[in-house]
Amino acid sequence: MTTKLRSFLSALVRGRRLEREMEEEWRFHLDQRVDTLMASGVSRREAQRIARVEFGDPLRWKEEGREARGLRLIHELRSDVQYALRQMGRARTATLVIMTTLALAIGANTAIFTLVDAVMLKPLPVPHPEELKQLVWIARRSGFHATYNGSARSNAAGERVATSFSYPVITNLRDHATTLSDVFCFDEPQQLSLVHDGAAQLVDGQFVSGNYFRGLRVDAILGRTLGEADDKPGAPAVGVISHRFWRRAFAEAPDVVGRRITVNGAPVSIAGVLPPSFFGVLPGARPDVVLALAVQSAFDASTPPDALTRADRWGFQVMARIKPGETVGRAEAEAEALIRQAILAYAPAAAYDPPRIVLDPGDRGLANLRREYSNPLGILMGMVGVVLLIACANIAGLLIVRANAREREIGMRIALGAGRWRVIRQLVTESVVLAVGGGCLGFAITYGIRHLLPVLVTEGSSTVDLDTALDVRILLFTAGTCLTTGLACGLLPALRATNVDVASLIGRTLTGTLTSASRRWTAKVLVATQVAFSLMLLVGAGLFVRTLLNLRSEALGFKPDGLLIFRVNPSQSGYPAARWNNVYERAVERIAAVPGVLTVSLSRYAVLAGGSTRDGIGVLGSESKPIGTYIHYVAPRYFETMGIPLRLGRDITWQDREQSRHVVVINEALARTLFGTAQPIGQWVIHPNEKAADAMEIIGVAADAKFSDVRRPAPPTIYEPYVKLPQRLMTFAVRAAGDPEGLSGSIREAVAAVDPSVPLFDFWSQRTQIDLAIRQERLFANLVSGFGLLALLLACLGIYGTLSYSVARRTPEIGLRMALGASRHDVIGLVLRESAGPVAVGAVMGVAGVALAARVIQTMLFGVTHDDTSTLLGALAVLLVSALGAAWLPSARASRVEPMLALRQD
Amino acid sequence: MATTTELLQGTLDLLILKAISLGPLHGYGVLLRIQQISGDKLQIQQGSLYPALYRLEHQGLIESEWGESDNRRKAKFYSLTTSGQRRLRAEVNYWGRLSDAINLALAAVPGDL
Repeated sequence: MTTKLRSFLSALVRGRRLEREMEEEWRFHLDQRVDTLMASGVSRREAQRIARVEFGDPLRWKEEGREARGLRLIHELRSDVQYALRQMGRARTATLVIMTTLALAIGANTAIFTLVDAVMLKPLPVPHPEELKQLVWIARRSGFHATYNGSARSNAAGERVATSFSYPVITNLRDHATTLSDVFCFDEPQQLSLVHDGAAQLVDGQFVSGNYFRGLRVDAILGRTLGEADDKPGAPAVGVISHRFWRRAFAEAPDVVGRRITVNGAPVSIAGVLPPSFFGVLPGARPDVVLALAVQSAFDASTPPDALTRADRWGFQVMARIKPGETVGRAEAEAEALIRQAILAYAPAAAYDPPRIVLDPGDRGLANLRREYSNPLGILMGMVGVVLLIACANIAGLLIVRANAREREIGMRIALGAGRWRVIRQLVTESVVLAVGGGCLGFAITYGIRHLLPVLVTEGSSTVDLDTALDVRILLFTAGTCLTTGLACGLLPALRATNVDVASLIGRTLTGTLTSASRRWTAKVLVATQVAFSLMLLVGAGLFVRTLLNLRSEALGFKPDGLLIFRVNPSQSGYPAARWNNVYERAVERIAAVPGVLTVSLSRYAVLAGGSTRDGIGVLGSESKPIGTYIHYVAPRYFETMGIPLRLGRDITWQDREQSRHVVVINEALARTLFGTAQPIGQWVIHPNEKAADAMEIIGVAADAKFSDVRRPAPPTIYEPYVKLPQRLMTFAVRAAGDPEGLSGSIREAVAAVDPSVPLFDFWSQRTQIDLAIRQERLFANLVSGFGLLALLLACLGIYGTLSYSVARRTPEIGLRMALGASRHDVIGLVLRESAGPVAVGAVMGVAGVALAARVIQTMLFGVTHDDTSTLLGALAVLLVSALGAAWLPSARASRVEPMLALRQD
Repeated sequence: MATTTELLQGTLDLLILKAISLGPLHGYGVLLRIQQISGDKLQIQQGSLYPALYRLEHQGLIESEWGESDNRRKAKFYSLTTSGQRRLRAEVNYWGRLSDAINLALAAVPGDL
């Protein structure tokens, strides 16, 4: 077998040389024979003749020789491809239409697959990714943690499924596990402000344990990565930087190791540069600076100094490598025992169930993005698949028409002895060549736009940084798609075209053969298919567009128009925490004085920007369970600036800070939940785990306003004075009298007057912020509308093409009918009726398809359900009108047929 | 010229293997050797040798190498590989049994039944 393969491959590669060698070998043979014959007295001429006759037909031996080496197929394929290229050169317009259609369809498929690959399939670029596991705990009651930070969800059984652990629990596992090696942990990636060479910027950073890089088996390409020594208490702050950041900020300077940068106001020296392919363990995030967990509290105000010693502070995600030869089951059992043992050791105060431990596969990184986007990506993949199906049906229809025009050529070839299979192969080769051509074009387009793809899996204004580089899976997918497409659109027309009655064909004219009825039937089925799928895509487009419109017009609870927002971070300019509030207040004063500014305020988070702090809130002295609440740290006049009405009481004022008691405003949702109909003003509330002295008095109730998500109703929210907890990063909100964008210059000047070195980030209108928050929905609406329109266009082309062809064939018949007294209207009706059947059948199939498939997009819709009747009717109307338009042109042409000319045509 | 016999389907490969087993040969040499060892009784269309040679080479039963002929011209020489030797033994064995059986069958007279 291997010798055959080797010989076949060498024949393939050295084809031309082998042919030359064959000829040389035969020349030697003939010469020898001629010599022998001449030696026996024959003349040279006669000897040459005899030798040639004895040898036989060299062409035949050559063909058989090729076949002997398994080369015949290849040889025929080569000539088929050449023939196909000549055919394509002849029918330029048709080729162009087909190639463009395929380029769009295959390009769309490749693009979405690139995304699927990056989010769902690509393994982490580290050695032996299959050994990596992520630890997950499952418990009904999770009182073993006092605070929890990280992702958590509920499973079907109502248990909590979460991924964060406390540091002492992790070290117990790390030090005693025998089935796992390299138990390492890390915090969620976070934004850090970074200054080097006097230039400030916001970058993504991450804090990781000292064995993180060893566990991942990732080495620095320059300098070193972090080690255990960097993760000891009191260790100097060193960081490793991404290759991207090295290039962007340091122009790939080879002496970058040892240089100092300022991260969140504190100095860090650079230890090394990470490889370009490495992005960490979370697809979608790509930290530019990685620091050790031991130094985190020096950089991150929200991290207490005892974060690594408190066993009840669960906030680090854990990965480990399973030792070769160990089973997941054994490793889970061991990890579970060690973690339960660690929990017992610190004896949590609250009631809890010992957690079960599951090891999730970690070979493709953390599952966050995968879990979140498997549904939207599946939907997109399905939609581009449908577009491809429509394109295939469309092209198959076109090829059938073309095959009809080539009927005589094909019949002739079969009559001359070409096998049916041979002719089919040749016709299919043509469509595969077309598909490969279109596929290459589509692939090139996708390659050009691959950097734009991650936006599709972006929610809110956060950036998703995915590795969309080409890999072997994408290439295989595209190649497979091209081949399948070529076969799918070519096989049916080829089977139809070669099903000819040779005897009846020879000597006949083009019109009418025995098989034309069944071929027309095929064309009708193809049209119906396109109509059905187009309707499905149109309904999808309608639903997504309505979702977008609903989101846009959703009542937010505040007035976004006329609002300008931006962020300020004084810590980057070297201000100590004690002076941050001073900077904010001076900036507020300056901005308030700008002409055209109505009011100005500030808050920890921008509204609908994704960021939020959540904690429980309970009534002071009450035993009832605290309510999960969004905490919004705000300055005075916040409600006035945002346009949120105050229902009861008063706003927070600058004077409240001087008083010893803490005051807060709550929203109506929280007031309802905590107090029902009772008067909330003057009541005291408190966060769990806080002392009674930290209780806060309710001084006002604000109307409900959306906070972090446009889709969800306003959550229970508490507005606490921002001065309570100094924040290094605050969002300013400015309400302008007129066009807010026009004020940006004078607002920048006002802030610069406080300190010109304090930079302003994310400076845009609140409307822009909302657009960013719903950009995934916007993109879906645009994309799916695009797919829908493309599908509609293709379906109309299909209807038009099939009908035009049919009219051309039936011209004599139509002429005859008109000669016998049929009116133009009769003719138009006749032709329209021919297309009505397939369109009606397609529409019914499409409605059935919508009923079956539309539910899968329900979770992505907002304010509209998947079985919305008006959307379905609208899509149906668009489809039918377009179909009528496409059918009208050929029927109008038919009605202008001159009876006498038509009758003479044949 | 003596009476010649048309070659039985599939026996050309066996003859080529046999011819080459006696020593490496070029294509024309294979033809001469077969004629020689068969006592000029077999009729072979000369060109058909070559597809057969390529087929045997493709199957790994023989291998080829460019060399120099007796009259100092460049020629391709074929020799038997080990699996070719094995195949030749098996084929000879099979052919012997087959021809014995057929001879026996053809020698049958009515009295034998």
